[in-house]
Amino acid sequence: MSEQFEPNIVAFLCNWCSYAGADLAGTSRTHYPANLKVIRVMCTGRINPLFVLNALQQGADGVLVSGCHPGDCHYMEGNMYARRRFRLMKDLLEYLGVDSRRFHMSWVSASEGGKWKEVVEKVVDEVSEIGPFEQFKREKINW
Amino acid sequence: MVDLETIRKKAKEIVSREDVKHLIGWRKGTFGYRVTPYWVEAPEDAEELVYSPLCNTNLATSLTLAEKLPLPKGQEPDRRKTALLVRGCDSRAVVQLLTERGVDREQVVLLGLPCRGVVDLRKLKDSYPEDNEVADAEWKEDKIVLNVSGEKKEIPREEVLDDHCLVCRYPNPVEADETLGEKVEPWAEESHPGVEELENASFDKRWDFWEKEFERCIRCYACRNACPMCYCEDCILDRLNPTWIYRSNNYSENTAFHIARAFHLVGRCVSCGACERVCPAGIPLGKINQKLVKEVREKYEFEPGTDPEGVPFQASYNPQDQEDFIL
Amino acid sequence: MSEKPRVGVYVCHCGINIAATVNVEEVVEFASRLPGVTVVRNYAYMCSDPGQQLVREDIENENLNRIVVASCSPRMHEITFRRTLQDAGLNPYYLEMANIREHCSWVHPDSEEATPKAKKLVSAAVSKARMLEPLEEKEVDSERTAMVIGGGIAGIQSALDIADAGYQVYLVEKSPSVGGRMAQLDKTFPTLDCSACIMTPKMVDVANHPNIELMTYSEVEEVNGFIGNFEVKVRKKARYVDIDKCNGCGECADNCRVKNRIPNEFDANVGKRSAIYLPFPQAVPAKFTVDPDHCLYLTKGKCGKGPKCQEVCGTGAIDFEQQDEEVEVKVGAIIVATGFDTFDPSNKPEYGYQDYPNVITGLEMERLVAASGPTGGELLIGEGENARKPKKVAFIQCVGSRDASVGNEYCSRVCCMYTAKQAHLIKEKIPDAEVTVYYMDVRAFGKGFEEFYDRVRREGIRYIRGNPSEIFKKDDKLIVKVEDTLTATPREDEADLVVLAVGLEPRQDARGVIDLLRLSQTSDRFFMEAHPKLYPVDTSTDGVFLAGCAQGPKDIPDTVAQAKGAAASAMIPLSRGKVKVEAQTAEVNEATCRGCGFCTEVCPYSAIELKTINWFGHEVNVAEVNEALCKGCGTCSAACLSNSIQPRSFRDSQIMPQIAALGVKS
Repeated sequence: MSEQFEPNIVAFLCNWCSYAGADLAGTSRTHYPANLKVIRVMCTGRINPLFVLNALQQGADGVLVSGCHPGDCHYMEGNMYARRRFRLMKDLLEYLGVDSRRFHMSWVSASEGGKWKEVVEKVVDEVSEIGPFEQFKREKINW
Repeated sequence: MVDLETIRKKAKEIVSREDVKHLIGWRKGTFGYRVTPYWVEAPEDAEELVYSPLCNTNLATSLTLAEKLPLPKGQEPDRRKTALLVRGCDSRAVVQLLTERGVDREQVVLLGLPCRGVVDLRKLKDSYPEDNEVADAEWKEDKIVLNVSGEKKEIPREEVLDDHCLVCRYPNPVEADETLGEKVEPWAEESHPGVEELENASFDKRWDFWEKEFERCIRCYACRNACPMCYCEDCILDRLNPTWIYRSNNYSENTAFHIARAFHLVGRCVSCGACERVCPAGIPLGKINQKLVKEVREKYEFEPGTDPEGVPFQASYNPQDQEDFIL
Repeated sequence: MSEKPRVGVYVCHCGINIAATVNVEEVVEFASRLPGVTVVRNYAYMCSDPGQQLVREDIENENLNRIVVASCSPRMHEITFRRTLQDAGLNPYYLEMANIREHCSWVHPDSEEATPKAKKLVSAAVSKARMLEPLEEKEVDSERTAMVIGGGIAGIQSALDIADAGYQVYLVEKSPSVGGRMAQLDKTFPTLDCSACIMTPKMVDVANHPNIELMTYSEVEEVNGFIGNFEVKVRKKARYVDIDKCNGCGECADNCRVKNRIPNEFDANVGKRSAIYLPFPQAVPAKFTVDPDHCLYLTKGKCGKGPKCQEVCGTGAIDFEQQDEEVEVKVGAIIVATGFDTFDPSNKPEYGYQDYPNVITGLEMERLVAASGPTGGELLIGEGENARKPKKVAFIQCVGSRDASVGNEYCSRVCCMYTAKQAHLIKEKIPDAEVTVYYMDVRAFGKGFEEFYDRVRREGIRYIRGNPSEIFKKDDKLIVKVEDTLTATPREDEADLVVLAVGLEPRQDARGVIDLLRLSQTSDRFFMEAHPKLYPVDTSTDGVFLAGCAQGPKDIPDTVAQAKGAAASAMIPLSRGKVKVEAQTAEVNEATCRGCGFCTEVCPYSAIELKTINWFGHEVNVAEVNEALCKGCGTCSAACLSNSIQPRSFRDSQIMPQIAALGVKS
């Protein structure tokens, strides 16, 4: 096994801050690893914590949730609810034995293209360290 | 504490009221230590009520389980109240349901009972096996007295009480229209047995533990049905579009089921332990719930089922909520 | 699902922006094998007209019913392509975009990385597109009226513009008269116009305008509804004077038993008034008001043998039985022009504002030099016989601005220039006065500012660069202790009068306005605009606009410009008579909703309410979304334990296929 493990990471981004921040990273031609793929939602408040679970089950090696800094939420307070929900989802996953490096949450504003790059690099690095997620990945089902 | 005759007398009185439909309590089951929820529809039924350390179901569940069958056109729904025997944990479940509008306070009559904890039947299994004979138990100060086939055995409470009851801080009802008997002095400090042990283990060790537990799950959903908080008529975990969890019984789907179940109870679990007691596979579900109860209390200073006027935890936030985990 | 999805996938080259790193051919080949995909094309610029034409033709010829465009960010061109779909007769919400430029080709220079990722993104987009649903863009009628909160120059200008355009305006002002801060000023920089002379005609205009209903001495109590249909409750406070009868003669004030004993707020508390008062002679409306906090009759229940004002009033206008009155009005748009407060210098005790009477604020200075002010424009220090003209005047800049220690990191934008103006006025009134300005930087950025600053310096005003550390008293002189930072010389300068150029702060009661209108604040606590550059007068609440210093410190021309901008924006719903409501709103499944109310609690817009429905004979509670209020954030859906409330276009059933597509190992 000389080939390096390339993790597959699913990220949920809010439309107004983090998705725009990632767009800015693009327009500024920042470079970062391609392991992370983004699903756009309108607000972090929309992200059902069970999506994290679902992503891990469906083959993601790591998950990132990113939204607006406190006070910046386009919908005023969606990120506040998300902060609570994901803190506890993270606690629960870790308690059951899922490495704390698999799931991350970040605040990235529309102006933080540079921070987005750093966040992606950190998440990719950490998930690369722990290797593929096998714990409760869904078994291939042949209908 | 309280004697059975007082309860039965009071129950009779309540059921006789015109505005009360029925009273939900417990009665003896058909064999062994089993005790089952019991709907007292008429005053004379009250004679069958029991109240003992064997009453291990949370009666608040019965409130939300009541099915609303379609009514023939023109027929008015029965608007009479439901009466309920409540101990600390039952009443906390009712209070939590009040905050979630699952119950209308005007529609329930709560008859409070102090409680010294219920027996975990699995702890009795080896030393005091159950047979087809109907057996009995009662509290006697710090002991539990078992009465199996006429033979009485006194056992220290600590040996046979359910883990949840050992650390119960709410032995008396937090909400009731009337509470019978004398209040019980709480006996426990806040603690979450078994949780810290796992917290101190490595991720791999934790997963080794849970993987074995979840592998045994037969997905009978008894935990879900026994829980007073799991009251969705159509659980998302049963749905096909979208399919959150496949029906296949394997550790992946089982784990996902247990994570989803526990997560839905964040800030709602009242620590009654009903889920764990009914689990036929003996999965320590309380250990998952207790972890979240602990986090919610430590990080957010929230205790479900204690404030009928409170805003549900999952529907609130504090601008100062901690965020040290956020990048 | 009514019809089988027939997906068209369009991969854009974006010139070479995408094509240089993403192997477009490979992506096209990959996409053609995805389930439900009927047509796959690539084109140099999908957003160009020929590019859009491709989509339109395929929709027609190939009967496509879902479109995936793999190109730039949806934040860039989603609207463009939605219109394309609409032009071709397809519901615009049948569009999904895969961002293979900003999130792929531009950030992954290696084609080996970018191409597989582009495929993944396309695959996820197709998975979601298959599950999309048609949405209806609804419109509701808009009231053709507006409300302006705040009767300063910003509010007055907004109200006049809207009223001139022919719409009814309610102008609500908290104090007894319109005019606001501008009416308190003596001259305006850099033109030295008399502030009152340019302000009072406008004040009279708002009072006389047939389309303006002036509500002075009134406060907004409650705001419900949404853009086009706000319902506003306004409390008209009791003046204890019948304004229809009052002719403004002033006999009452002259005879008041506490005459000249109450600090006049309008004069920055340097002048005194009676308990029944007109804030200033040009007040609009020119009607007297009883101050309920100081009137003897109202506070003690007794005023001599009877209130003298009542006795002398020739028209019998004074009515101590008057009660607050609540009125409700419906408006289509609201402009918030609540203005500012000045920084309270007692928060910087080293300047001795509370200890020394000769340390005053810039606003107090305005009133002292104003011809209509308490001293008739004569600037004197000391009391009675000792009263004399100050010979040494010191100005200290940036008091409460650019100062993290008091929590105001921002520049207040007007203090440099109002200080220069006041320095000039002092020189004008007392030519031999020695005037010194202590500054950090002089910011003379506006039209004519630098020229004015130059002029003032040539008039002999001394500018010393340094932020004074302390003001103390030595004998009967004030001493300003400062380091001249240009020469690194510590100085202790004498002064007869020190003027603190206090900065601008959000109104003390700004929080109440925020809660009423669901606004946000920026970190400086001023109201937040929807976008700092592109939506400077809009707010996060549709239909609510900002004008003037409520949004941040600014001078009069900027305020007027912004007020006109806010008026123009507010008139959009008014003139159309209709407002669009968000199409991607949340929808409730009444069959599974358990009526727990989590969604109603978390909804930032209070757009969800519980209603009782008849469920086969039973009364059950379920959530109901007010689609006009819902902004589609979806916070409700993640709070819902039975997933019974779902935002359209971002449903679980639309997101989970995306997760599945991304989860597949490539």
